[in-house]
Amino acid sequence: MSNFSFLFQKEWRENVRNFKILWIPLVFLLFGISEPLTNYYLPQILASVGNMPEGTVFQFPELSPEQILMSTISQYQLIGMLVVTLGFAGIIARERKSGTATLLYVRPISYFSYVNSKLLVMITIVIGGVIVGILASLYYTNILFGAVDIGAFFGFLGTYIAWLLFVISIVLFSSAAFTTGIASTVSVVFVLFAQIIDALLGTYWTISPWKLPMYAGQILNGNFDMTPFVWSIMITLIASIVLIAGAGYFAKRNVSKAKI
Amino acid sequence: MKTLLYMQGLTKEYGKEKAVDNITFSLNKNTSTALIGPNGAGKTTTLSMLAGLLKQTTGSIVMDGEDTKDIRKMIGFLPQYPQFYTWLTALEFTEMVAKLSGVEPKMAKLEAEKTLEFVGLGSAKNKKTGTFSGGMKQRLGLAQAIVHKPALLLLDEPVSALDPIGRREIMNLLKELQANTTILYSTHILNDAEEMTDQLLFLRKGKLVEQGSMREVREKYANPLYKMYFSSSEEAALFVEMSPWPTRQEGPVAFISIEDGKPKMQEVLLKLANSNLSLSKVERATASLEEIFLQVVNKG
Repeated sequence: MSNFSFLFQKEWRENVRNFKILWIPLVFLLFGISEPLTNYYLPQILASVGNMPEGTVFQFPELSPEQILMSTISQYQLIGMLVVTLGFAGIIARERKSGTATLLYVRPISYFSYVNSKLLVMITIVIGGVIVGILASLYYTNILFGAVDIGAFFGFLGTYIAWLLFVISIVLFSSAAFTTGIASTVSVVFVLFAQIIDALLGTYWTISPWKLPMYAGQILNGNFDMTPFVWSIMITLIASIVLIAGAGYFAKRNVSKAKI
Repeated sequence: MKTLLYMQGLTKEYGKEKAVDNITFSLNKNTSTALIGPNGAGKTTTLSMLAGLLKQTTGSIVMDGEDTKDIRKMIGFLPQYPQFYTWLTALEFTEMVAKLSGVEPKMAKLEAEKTLEFVGLGSAKNKKTGTFSGGMKQRLGLAQAIVHKPALLLLDEPVSALDPIGRREIMNLLKELQANTTILYSTHILNDAEEMTDQLLFLRKGKLVEQGSMREVREKYANPLYKMYFSSSEEAALFVEMSPWPTRQEGPVAFISIEDGKPKMQEVLLKLANSNLSLSKVERATASLEEIFLQVVNKG
C-alpha cells in the first residue's frame, strides 16, 4: 500500500475543498429528514397549501415505520444514486483528461493505492452520507411513526451498504476504464437502468446485486428468504472486489491516455 | 564518465505507425542532453517512455546499471504544459509530490519550501496554483520535478511557452542544476541547446538521425567557408573582385570556400600579400546549430 496515505490525504483535501464532503451527505440527510416529515404532515400540508374545495376529505393510509424507511431508500435509489454516479464519474477520468494525473503517474506510486485512495474517499462520503441520512430518517420515523426493530434495522442498513459498495465500485471502475462522459453513461446504465430491468424482468431470478435494496426492505419487514439473499450478498461482494481490481488494472493501463 | 541511463532499440508503435523507431543512446552522469527535432519527431514520446507514462513496444531502458522495472523513483519529469490541482497551494502540491517521490515525510515540507525558494516561488508558496501565471506554473513544474533530487531530470520543451525573461530565468536555474543532475530535455529553441548542452540528439520521424557533442556535430557539419576580415567593406569588395575563387562579401568580411584543399590557403594568402589589402583576421566559419538542424532534418 505504498503512498496510500499521501494519496488519500490528497483525495480528502480535494473533496473538502470542492465541498463534496458537505453537499453529498446533505442530499442524503435532506431526503432522510423530509421523507418521514412529509408523510406525517401531508394532511396538514395539503390543507394549508393544497387549495382544495371546502369539505374535501382525503383518506391517507396508515404507514408503518418500516414503510417510511423504505420510502427513504426509494428516494436514495433514484436521486441519491444519480448524485453518486454523476458526482464521481470523473474521479479518475477527469484527472487523466486535464493532465493533473500526469504529475502523479510519474511518481513511484502503486496504481492500486491510487484507486484505493479514491475508493476510500467515496466510501466515506457516500456510505457515511447515507448512514447519516438513514439515521436521521430513523430518528424522525421513531418519533412520528413508532419504533423499528433494531436488529432488523441493522440488517437492513448492512444490506444497503453492500449495495452502495457495489454502486461505488461500478462508478470507480467506469472512471478508470473510460472517459468522464462514457463513465457517467455506463454508471447510470448499470446502476439505474439495470435496476429497472431487474425490477421488470427480475421475477425470473432471485439472485442479483440489483435486488439488494429490495432484500434490505424485506429484512426490515422480517419476511425474507435467506438463501437468495446470502447468494446475492456474496455475488455483490465478489463483483465489487472484481470491479475494484479492474479499476486498478485500467488505471494503470490508461496511464498513456493522460494528457502530457 | 559514468553512464546513468542506457536506452537500446527503443521503439514505440501505434498500429502501423512508429512514433519512435529503434533509438539507442546513453546519458552520462551530470551531463545535459538536448533532444532536437521538428514537431512530430518523437521527442515527447521518447521522454514519456522514460518517464514511465508510455510503455515501449520494444527495446530496453537501463538506469544506473540496473534494468529496473520502475525507474520512476530516479526521475523528475516536467511536461511541456504542466497541469496542477488548482485547489492546492504551491507548497501543498510540492510537499505532496515530494512525499509521493519518497522524500521522508518529516522532511517533505522543508524540502518543498527550499525548492520553491530555489525556483523563485518562495513568496507565492501559499497561493493556490489556480491563480498562477504561465511563468509561475513553469517554475512550479520545475520545482515538482526536482524536489526529490532525482538522478535524471526529463524536461519537455521547458521554456517554449515562456517570454524571453522567463526563458532566461529558467535556463539559469537549469544551468545551476546541471552540476548535480543529469538533464535530458527536448527543445526546438536552438539557442538554448547551444547554451546548455553536452550532447545533441537529433530526431526525425521517430529516428535518431544524428548524435554527438556540440563540437563533434559542428565538425561533422562544418561549413567549408573561411571568414577573412578586412579593415573596410571596400577592401573586402576589392578582394572579392580580384579573387579567382568562389568568394562573397558581407561588410568588411569576405567568405571564401575552401573545399578539399582547393584553393590552398597559401595561394590565397600569397594573392593577398601581392595586393595592398590589409587583412586583420582569418577564421573558419562555424555552422550555427540552426544550420545544422536544417541540414540534419532535411537530409535523407
